[in-house]
Parts: sequence; structure tokens; C-alpha cells
Amino acid sequence: MTKNKLLVINGPGLADLGNYDGNTYGDITLAKIKDKCCELCEQLGVILDFRQTNDEDEMFRAIAKDSDCYDALIINPVGYSRAASVEFELYRSAIKMIAHLHKPVIEVHITNIFKQGAEITKPLQVPEGEMGFICGLGVQSYLLAIKAVNKRLNDKQTSFHKQVRVYSSR
Amino acid sequence: MKTIMKVYVINGPNLNLLGTREPEIYGTETLKKIAERCQALGVNYGLDIEFKQSNYEGEIIEWIHDAINTVDAIVINAGAYTHTSVAIHDALRAFSGCKVELHISNPHLRESFRHISYVSPAVDAVVAGLGVAGYGHVIELLPYLLNCAENTEV
Repeated sequence: MTKNKLLVINGPGLADLGNYDGNTYGDITLAKIKDKCCELCEQLGVILDFRQTNDEDEMFRAIAKDSDCYDALIINPVGYSRAASVEFELYRSAIKMIAHLHKPVIEVHITNIFKQGAEITKPLQVPEGEMGFICGLGVQSYLLAIKAVNKRLNDKQTSFHKQVRVYSSR
Repeated sequence: MKTIMKVYVINGPNLNLLGTREPEIYGTETLKKIAERCQALGVNYGLDIEFKQSNYEGEIIEWIHDAINTVDAIVINAGAYTHTSVAIHDALRAFSGCKVELHISNPHLRESFRHISYVSPAVDAVVAGLGVAGYGHVIELLPYLLNCAENTEV
């Protein structure tokens, strides 16, 4: 059996969690998140590509052009998931493309973005996408996403893709 | 010191139809089957899980009230009440234990009237779109969340 390959991509600003105001992120750093993700992927026998970029072009290149290199995408888009922003259209087209390839996508956030105020960060609303959504679990948001997506890739019987597509078409 | 943590898994309207309606689309797993799986998982993780479903908003609110001071964690799939019920929002705010909102599908991919959740701002975390497997995933996380709630912020 070939190993599942995951791309975990972190958007602008996530390299500097320590610089954020207040205790929103506690003592979580991206390095700690990466360590935990690597540890879990090793246990699960999953190949992990963990990235962070402040450059949105690089982000879309990674999502769209490198899509041959991963089976599923886990994305923390940070505040760039604002539905009204120009960047959103770029996310949308990249995720639509992944949906077309039937690769699962899970959006993760460290904190509960709805508590901070949805006007700042909104979920990526891409109806064509096959996306899960996890927020508010700290490092565990990532670990749950990895476990869930790996289970999904291994389990061809439970048709998450079909389910969500049917839901979204109603 | 409590050794067994008590958990309510609360399911809202129409979730009783799971598995019996259009099984070729929604899968064959019934809510009863999910409940059994959650309870079996709970035993492994030292959780006493009460799995509930109601089509009545008031009953759901009373369960949340019952949970205050008696239950350690609530996992809630409020179904369509997610998008309408300020009353469930208020009840959840009154519960100071660990709270996770759960959905089988991702409401943000569906009709625009499902894009607002009154539950989300009142809970600690939101998990959606992982299919029925989401229930098991959240149960497995609860011991971690309950420990964190006692020590540090998640």
C-alpha cells in the first residue's frame, strides 16, 4: 500500500504566533504544531509536507500547481478567508480545482474564529469543495484534521465526498 | 476527584432519520448505531456518554440546563436549530464545561441560510464536514479537552 501524502499549509502571519496580542494563542507556536503533526504522521505512516508562507502567490502555487504531490490538503488560511476579500477568489479557484480532483480538504483554525468575531475571519465558503472544518482545538485542530483525512483516504467505503456533494447541491 | 467524566451528546431535529432516509446517499449508519459506537468509545476513554436526540427546541434547552454542574462536556449537533436558536445559544453560554459543536456536513458549503450558526460563538470548538466519523473523532478528543480545561486554555 502506498503511503498517503498530506500537504498542511499555513497562511500569512502564522509563523509569528508569539507576536499576537493577548493570550489568544497561549504558548502555541508553529514550530510546536509542526512537531506534533510530524509525530502523528510518523505514527500513522503518512508523508507530511508542512509549510507556512506569508506570500499568497506561493500559497496558491503550492495548492494548485503542486497538487500532484499530495492526496489531501489541510489549510489554515488565517484571516485571509474573509469572504469579501480579493484573496478569497484565489482560494476559491484553487479549492475548486482540488475538488475537481476529488482530494479532500480540511480547513483548520487554532482558535474558535466565531468567538473572535466572524467579521474578521470567515470560513472558506466554497460550495464546490469537499471540505471539512475544524476550529478552536489548538494544536488538536491540526491533529484531528490529519487523523480524519487519513481515515477518509484509507476508508473507501464511507463516501464522505459523495455525502458532502449531495448536501451542497441542495 | 472525578475519574469518570460525564458527557452529553445532544442531537437536534431530523437526526433521528439518519440512515433510514436515502441510505444510498446518506449512508446506512443510523443514529442508534452512532450512539452505540460513541458509548463503546467512551468506555475506552473513561467517559460516561449519554446520547440524546430531540426534535423539540425546548427539550434540548432543558437537557443543557440539566447538564449545568452535573456534566463535564457537551457535544452538540443542533441540526437546523443551529441556524435559528438564540435560546440554545443562551443555554450553552450558561454551561461552563467543555462544549463542542458538531456537524456531519459542512454547513458553510450549503445554502446561505446555514452559514450563520448561533451555536458557534457559544462553544469552545467547531467540527464539521467529517461525516458521521466526526462523532468518534470528537469523543476521542474529549479527554484531552477536559484536561486542558482544568489546566490551561486550549
